[in-house]
Amino acid sequence: MKEFRGRVLVKGEAEGEALVIDEISFYGDINPNNGMLVDGRNVKDKIIVAYKPKGSTVGSYIIYALKENGFAPRAIIMSKSEPIIIAGCVLANIPLVDNIDINVLKEIKDGDKIIVKNDKIIVK
Amino acid sequence: MYLTKEEEKILNGEYGWGLAKAMQVIVSVGDSLNSEKLINIAHAHISGVSYGNIGEPGKKLIKQFADEGIKFSVKTTVNPIGYDTMDYDAIPFTRIDKSYIIGQEEILRSLNKMGADLTLSCTPYYLPNVNEIKKGSSVAWGESNAVVYGNSVLGIKTNREGGPISLMAAIIGKIYYYGLHIEKNRIPEIKYKIHKPEDYEINEVRAGIIGEIISKIHNNDKPPYLEEKLKNDTTIKEFSASLGAAGNLAMVVINGITPIRFDEKEIKETITIDFNDIKKREEELKPNERPDLIYFGCPHTNKHEIEKIANNLKKINNLKTKIIITTSRKEISKLDRDALNILRSKDVKLISDTCLIVSPFGYKGLNIVTNSYKAYFYLTKRGIKVSLISIDNLEEVLRL
Repeated sequence: MKEFRGRVLVKGEAEGEALVIDEISFYGDINPNNGMLVDGRNVKDKIIVAYKPKGSTVGSYIIYALKENGFAPRAIIMSKSEPIIIAGCVLANIPLVDNIDINVLKEIKDGDKIIVKNDKIIVK
Repeated sequence: MYLTKEEEKILNGEYGWGLAKAMQVIVSVGDSLNSEKLINIAHAHISGVSYGNIGEPGKKLIKQFADEGIKFSVKTTVNPIGYDTMDYDAIPFTRIDKSYIIGQEEILRSLNKMGADLTLSCTPYYLPNVNEIKKGSSVAWGESNAVVYGNSVLGIKTNREGGPISLMAAIIGKIYYYGLHIEKNRIPEIKYKIHKPEDYEINEVRAGIIGEIISKIHNNDKPPYLEEKLKNDTTIKEFSASLGAAGNLAMVVINGITPIRFDEKEIKETITIDFNDIKKREEELKPNERPDLIYFGCPHTNKHEIEKIANNLKKINNLKTKIIITTSRKEISKLDRDALNILRSKDVKLISDTCLIVSPFGYKGLNIVTNSYKAYFYLTKRGIKVSLISIDNLEEVLRL
């Protein structure tokens, strides 16, 4: 078990399996109608672990749509976030934590069990 | 960040879900940027309202706010959409589905209910009550060309507020104190000089190319400083649009234009752009065959530009190429009758509410000519062949 802290951008608690995405752009990479990523994985009920954002101004609306359609991730933890993702997570009420060392994130693998408690992250 | 008691109340939901959500978005983004406080804005301009862009998710979100009875707290204008609301088929080589119109109309209904001015233009700075915003005021604008023009020509302050951020700022009438709202971040450190013979004029196409060149080399957090005095509004506008598109820049200080005072001692470096480099690029982008369409209006044309186009067309008989102009309906209403008659007689179409970039215009291999570097920048990404010519040289392309 490992524990570390980040910066809370959207407060909340969540628990789920990790889904690791190197560079995340919600627009174009994720289908808001079924939660599928272009590589075939699904973000529904996952804790998204993302290294960095890839900009697109439509991203906020996609995050919001994932929530509305029932395919939202349970939380997103990142090395560095940006305004479009923050806005989307606030609107969709998805816990968002950033400022986590990228090397710490790189040790997390798909399927690892993660607990997010505000700024505290526990990897089991 | 520091919040006033009133802001805390909004954040905690004492005024309802909608205001609380909007406040949470602005505060969370502000916190992430280490902003110390919120400031009031005098105006908001919302980009990202096209159904083709934000689709069902965007439509739903905006509707949720409108249904809640939320009104914008400041004067709010809105960017163009994918079609002319009074003539769905106005743009050639473009098909708009019925479902697209139904989706878009719902977005517009929601925005209207919230109190937006639905002029649907990317040049809010030509609207009288925007043009009159006091210098030094902070606003929250989303459209990139308007952001550059607002900061650099009007002397109002805005960052580039993408996605739903300008919408949320319009709802609460506030934005985080950050970036270009802070006076010291507006002072340039890098000066750009144009080395050229005296008779080499900088028209709007050349200004767009200068924008491209600066975008490529500018590597400094502060806005670039252009020493060259740009001569008219068309040139300044195309320069601003080019920097916003190619360079993601939000401001440029233009000698004699930008209302800002600073000490030349702040300049750390001067970079010279040789006119031969501009000439070379202009040559590459010049039309060499008759286009399928000639396009003016990216960003939207003003009355003066439309009248100039009409005047240049006066002497031309037997116009073989279709010309379209996108502008705001308010500018059309100001046009003088002679210009309107000339345009009508030449079958030149004036189109409102939209532009070729936002609309699902064109297809791979289509060949168009325009005076806008920004249009070149975005339309070539769709496989459309775009060449550049100044309004003043319109005749040259008509001879092809």
